[in-house]
Amino acid sequence: MRNLDFEFVDSSKKASKEQTRRSLTYWKDAWRRLKKNKLAMIGLVGVTLIILFGVVGPWFMPYSYSDQDNRFTNIPPRFEIYAIADDGYVFLSSQYNLILVSEKGELLDKLVRTNMDAINKVYTYSYNGEDIEVDFKNRLLEDDGGIDLKVTYKGVTSEYPTKTVSNKTFVWGSDNLGRDMLTRVMYGARISLTVAFVATIVNLIIGVTYGAISGLEGGLVDDIMMRIVDVINSIPLVLYVILLMVLIDNRGLWTIIITLGSVYWVGMARLVRGQVLGLKEQEYVLAARTIGVSKAKIISKHLIPNTMGPIIVAMTMMIPSAVFTEAFLSFIGLGVSAPMASWGTLANDALAGLSTYPYQLFTPSLAIAFTMLSFNFLGDGLRSALDPRLRKG
Amino acid sequence: MIGYYVKRLLSALFTLFLIATLTFFMMRAIPGGPFTREKPLPPQIIAQLNAKYNLDDPVIVQYFSYMKGIATFDLGPSFKELGLTVNDLIKQGFPGSMKVGFVAVMFILLFGIPLGIISALKQNKAIDHVVMVMATIGVTVPSFVVATLYIYFISSKISWIPITGLSNPLAYIGPAIALSGYSLSYVARLTRSSMLEVLRQDYVRTARANGLSEWRVIGKHALKNALIPVITYVGPMIAAILTGSFVVERIFSINGIGRYFVESVNNRDYTVIIGMTVFYSALYIVMVLLVDIGYSLIDPRIKLGKRSGD
Repeated sequence: MRNLDFEFVDSSKKASKEQTRRSLTYWKDAWRRLKKNKLAMIGLVGVTLIILFGVVGPWFMPYSYSDQDNRFTNIPPRFEIYAIADDGYVFLSSQYNLILVSEKGELLDKLVRTNMDAINKVYTYSYNGEDIEVDFKNRLLEDDGGIDLKVTYKGVTSEYPTKTVSNKTFVWGSDNLGRDMLTRVMYGARISLTVAFVATIVNLIIGVTYGAISGLEGGLVDDIMMRIVDVINSIPLVLYVILLMVLIDNRGLWTIIITLGSVYWVGMARLVRGQVLGLKEQEYVLAARTIGVSKAKIISKHLIPNTMGPIIVAMTMMIPSAVFTEAFLSFIGLGVSAPMASWGTLANDALAGLSTYPYQLFTPSLAIAFTMLSFNFLGDGLRSALDPRLRKG
Repeated sequence: MIGYYVKRLLSALFTLFLIATLTFFMMRAIPGGPFTREKPLPPQIIAQLNAKYNLDDPVIVQYFSYMKGIATFDLGPSFKELGLTVNDLIKQGFPGSMKVGFVAVMFILLFGIPLGIISALKQNKAIDHVVMVMATIGVTVPSFVVATLYIYFISSKISWIPITGLSNPLAYIGPAIALSGYSLSYVARLTRSSMLEVLRQDYVRTARANGLSEWRVIGKHALKNALIPVITYVGPMIAAILTGSFVVERIFSINGIGRYFVESVNNRDYTVIIGMTVFYSALYIVMVLLVDIGYSLIDPRIKLGKRSGD
């Protein structure tokens, strides 16, 4: 072949032969379809928000999860303030502590209670040497005549609250030790999400390895391995999580992670095995075998990458259930130890004071529900985006 | 046919045997033993206690007597509640758990399945969206949140609904809602998707082409097959719910085994924990077994003796 047999083609002709549409890889295609799914995108935004909330949030907070302020215990996120002459505003907490607040809702100080007249329902507090009398009779009457409290200061009685303000010091209120709820819920997010993510990864590693080996080996090995899975599957797993937690008896973060991680891999193993059973008959696996690639390499280089879609879907679904299980364990008293708190612990702590301080339960509960909802939406979206059978174009 | 049942029964028994063995050795693995207290007991008393509960015997002897106990439905004594056995606790707690669980299961079946069917028949209409959004929320909100919200917003505001206990029929509403929330939503979703699938089948079209009324097509032909996956889920679910949720019983102060279980966990009452685990597992396994057998009777497409997933 000599150069003379060929001639150069100018670039315009070359261009016309190029593909008009870029070919999409599996992942690009999946992402394209995921983007079209509104619910999935809401889920993705939600997941991002909750991760940011837990990871970045605490940096912006002036408190730590264990900072206590004994003056301001059980202060709700919103409260009614009463003007005391021109000297400021006060607010009576559910524990009958009189708190001096600014007009905007910043907590300034707790006033000293000098006298308690429990019979007439009048408490006296001292402020700058003057007495403030708080009469809460009407609060306890069936017919309160529209009046809640009567606050008397320097002879002036105010019967109606000046206004309702939001708590500026503790935006989500404070708990029974005067700790900031928002900060605690943020740290709770860290703990709950760490537990969920790490436990899911542990599950993933065990489940994928187990399933891949079982599926690839086949025959007797597969039979025995799947028999074991069947047995584990017929056990109510929550009980075993509890048993393991009791056994290890160390309320650390790692105990929960290890317990959750070691129990919930069965579903993943089944899923991967099913996929591998189909994939291992493919020609490329045969080709790899003929050139002597080891089984470990076939699994890690050929089989697992091709099952990534369903694995990711299963993972997104596993994370909310791990959050759920962790919350549940904390709720029955098997969670991380104080002063750290996961969402479940926070909810459990709030249970005792539910009727008086409901906000302490609402925030961690909402956080749990929000997380579960976001991950579920995302998982549903990923399932339809990654499953080739549901592909519509 | 008979062979299949025998095989299933044997495998259930084998699983139970494994569970009992596993739990026994887990109990042995606890460092310290059951009488370890913060303030140590005098050695004489420990020796007495050990002798009373035969803890001086070699492990293998203890294992056999424990297994013998399980085979004769005797789960042993409680180490913390003096004079009570695990059987006593189960006897005390089971009726409460059963009653609440029964109401919850009724809720699930009476609301979950019809909602799923309506949703499927009105696919992509407003009512379908409403039901599905509700179902999604139901799946994502934990039972303890539902229970506490119920107490806060309903039973503490309305004086004739009791907050705790099971003193009158109205008291069942709260625990049943909290217990059934997740499963009800799940059953509604499951019924909907399986109904949608069945409605696309040829035989439904044939039934319609033959001029059967819509009521008959749905009620008689479609529903029968649409409910099969629902039954698979409902079986183990019934076991889980009847035995009571730990959390719900605790919040509503119901004397159920779930509550005793949580208490025994907090007291570190090992024999009770283990005994109840075995009891729960047995109940669960029996329910799954019943469902499998019932399944093979309802659905002629299922080939007996063939393991699922093969």
